[in-house]
Amino acid sequence: MILNRRQFLGGAAAAGAVLALPRLALGDARRAAAQKILVFLHLNGGNDGLNTVIPYKNPRYRTLRPGLAISTGQVRKIGDKLGLHPGLNGFEALWKRDRLAIVNGVGYPKPDYSHFRSTEIWFTAEPEKTPTYGWIGRALDGSKSDAPLRAVALQKEQPLSLANATPGIVTMTDFRRFRVPSGLEGASDLYKRYGDMAEARGEVGRAGAQALEVAGKIAALRPAGGPFYANIGRDLRMAISLLKADLGLDCVQLSMGGYDTHSNQTPSHQRLLSQLGNNLNNFQTEIEKAGLGDKIVTVVMSEFGRRANENLSGGTDHGSAGPVFVIGKGVNNGFHGEYPSLDDLDNYNFKYTTDFRRVYASVLKHAYRMDPKPILGDFEPLELFA
Amino acid sequence: MPGMLEGKQAVAHLLRRTGFGPSAADWSSWSTLSYNDAVDRVLAQLDEPRPADPGDFDAYVPGSIQQVWLERMLAGTGAFAEKLALFWHGHFATSNAKIVDPELMWRQYALFRDKGAGSFRDLVKGVNRDVAMIRWLDGNANRKGHANENYARELQELFTLGIGNYTETDIREIARAFTGWGSRHHDFVIKKHFHDEGEKTVHGQTGNFDGDDVVDILVALPACPKFIAGKLLRFFSHPNPTKEEIAELAHVMRSKDLDIKATLEAMLRAPAFLDRKHYRSLVRGPTDFVIGALRAAGITEVPAYVHGAVDRMGQILFRPPSVKGWTSGKGWLSSGAIVERLRVAGLIGAAAPPTAADNILEVAFQGDVPDTLRDTLRNLDRPKRIATILGGPEFQLF
Repeated sequence: MILNRRQFLGGAAAAGAVLALPRLALGDARRAAAQKILVFLHLNGGNDGLNTVIPYKNPRYRTLRPGLAISTGQVRKIGDKLGLHPGLNGFEALWKRDRLAIVNGVGYPKPDYSHFRSTEIWFTAEPEKTPTYGWIGRALDGSKSDAPLRAVALQKEQPLSLANATPGIVTMTDFRRFRVPSGLEGASDLYKRYGDMAEARGEVGRAGAQALEVAGKIAALRPAGGPFYANIGRDLRMAISLLKADLGLDCVQLSMGGYDTHSNQTPSHQRLLSQLGNNLNNFQTEIEKAGLGDKIVTVVMSEFGRRANENLSGGTDHGSAGPVFVIGKGVNNGFHGEYPSLDDLDNYNFKYTTDFRRVYASVLKHAYRMDPKPILGDFEPLELFA
Repeated sequence: MPGMLEGKQAVAHLLRRTGFGPSAADWSSWSTLSYNDAVDRVLAQLDEPRPADPGDFDAYVPGSIQQVWLERMLAGTGAFAEKLALFWHGHFATSNAKIVDPELMWRQYALFRDKGAGSFRDLVKGVNRDVAMIRWLDGNANRKGHANENYARELQELFTLGIGNYTETDIREIARAFTGWGSRHHDFVIKKHFHDEGEKTVHGQTGNFDGDDVVDILVALPACPKFIAGKLLRFFSHPNPTKEEIAELAHVMRSKDLDIKATLEAMLRAPAFLDRKHYRSLVRGPTDFVIGALRAAGITEVPAYVHGAVDRMGQILFRPPSVKGWTSGKGWLSSGAIVERLRVAGLIGAAAPPTAADNILEVAFQGDVPDTLRDTLRNLDRPKRIATILGGPEFQLF
């Protein structure tokens, strides 16, 4: 059964304790004070964490990676034992400006090595359940906001992380495409009228009505200028325009593909991380210039890290735990969580040291000023923010 | 029987589900058939041979493979066979984004088009040898002593059993069985020196298995017909089939030795297929929407703008977003996609021939038009009327 927003909230109220969501937290708090916008970036394909945050002094690293290990001289040594991939000059710059929290060994029990299932787990934060709503989607449901635009995914398909019971989730790849052709006002009205119908008609109606409502606003936007390049740069330029437009957003989600490096990993990983770091560093600079520095928290995750040992194709296979990056003004710049052991592996897979829900808990608490427990369960938030 | 679709509504429902809906030109030849006769006729479409490629066809001309496939869908001659090929393309989702060789993608489509209605066992064995698939899931990197598990995993997770019906050990052992199964240029080859001749234990059976033995083992597991029957029901019949409905169709599939045509026939003749609660319960995907709209509006050629449009709606043929295939249902209703559907509806409305325009309510909805839509259509000129019909919410459902 598909419920519309009214039925959802009404039914929940009638059922009393069923809806244990913190309904106070989000919308009201944002209007009151320091509500932030979450920029959630998925490195799609499974980023090789071991070659991203590198334990360069550990001899085992070079044993596991005879062909793929980054030479000590090339590692960007931001810590006594840990350093960044040489392509990550952008992250090094963020680190030096106190804008980067690195959480090591992030994962979950019984890791799944399927892209799809593991992405589902990260996006829903419900490893044991059949996926329904996303972790961000559930957080948005906890708010009273009726803003027609709550979250934007700068991709073709709505990611499960944003799936929720209430309207306001929009996907897009190009602002200009939101110009509605003239003469279709009647069709636009039909979507609204279908919104109250049951089942599939209602779903089509609500999705369409919502699209058309925000279309006008979005069609007027243009991607921000600045030193950005590659697909991720293009998406970040769009993100900046959306963030500057003050549309009442709570989240912008982005996806950067190409991380499924089963073969010939060295050049592609270098290119990917270089694009990631440079563009994100410039993004942070641009939003701070626009006076939005205190408003935005960026989280960079991947559905899994890759296996500790390299394969015979010059690449790495699907693995388990990996690093998560939290970027913004006011982060506790530095390393968090314990780097997973390179000796105590499970079939060459890392054993996670920090549950990913502890990262999310910290983000929900800080960015949305909400109690993370009803959304995520009982996970102690990490101290990722000062 | 109350609650069941009847007469021309049942026939049109059948044509939308097994093909791309009635066209302005052919609806009159279907509308008077009994449902059972219409089922016979769509089943016969599965036996329609794949048309010869156009004389000047060159797979390497950008967009040509999508263009020719869309033309075949629009023509409607073997509509069910094309729709079934689209189903298998989504099921064994392989993307030219990685293959970068449209000729190989075209050969894979030919496999789905030619073998899609036959034995599922034979189809999967065909996929084992499909060069696009071998390149897609790193078959050439899978060598004795250094197995690449990509195909072994997806073969079970996405192609035959579904998640939860295999172990990590099964993946490792199956990868060994496929070692050396690779390609050279455009040809499938077994590279003997890379093949692991040792014993493998797959789902409790032990032997010196190769890729075909593995398929025999996998498709004989009860999980396989259940997985395929569930997917067929969700794609062709209704979005939330019950466990019982899936088990029933899986039973048919097993008893018919995994014959897909026989399984589809059982699905089409089951009462659930015509249950009114499943009427317009599925959301048209982009290909379905565009081809369905062109057919309903009486347009007989695939316009060039369709290529960009299906991209913005989220479905470029031969380029699914991942090996998991395309989304479905609400997943198609992203806001960017709906705005694009409106735009395409406007273009089709402007190009539709006047004769077809007079008939479109009958062709698209068999006269079963909600009052809300009828009210909205009043006072619109012909192109806007067609655009509103095709771009409105009712037409997005099928």
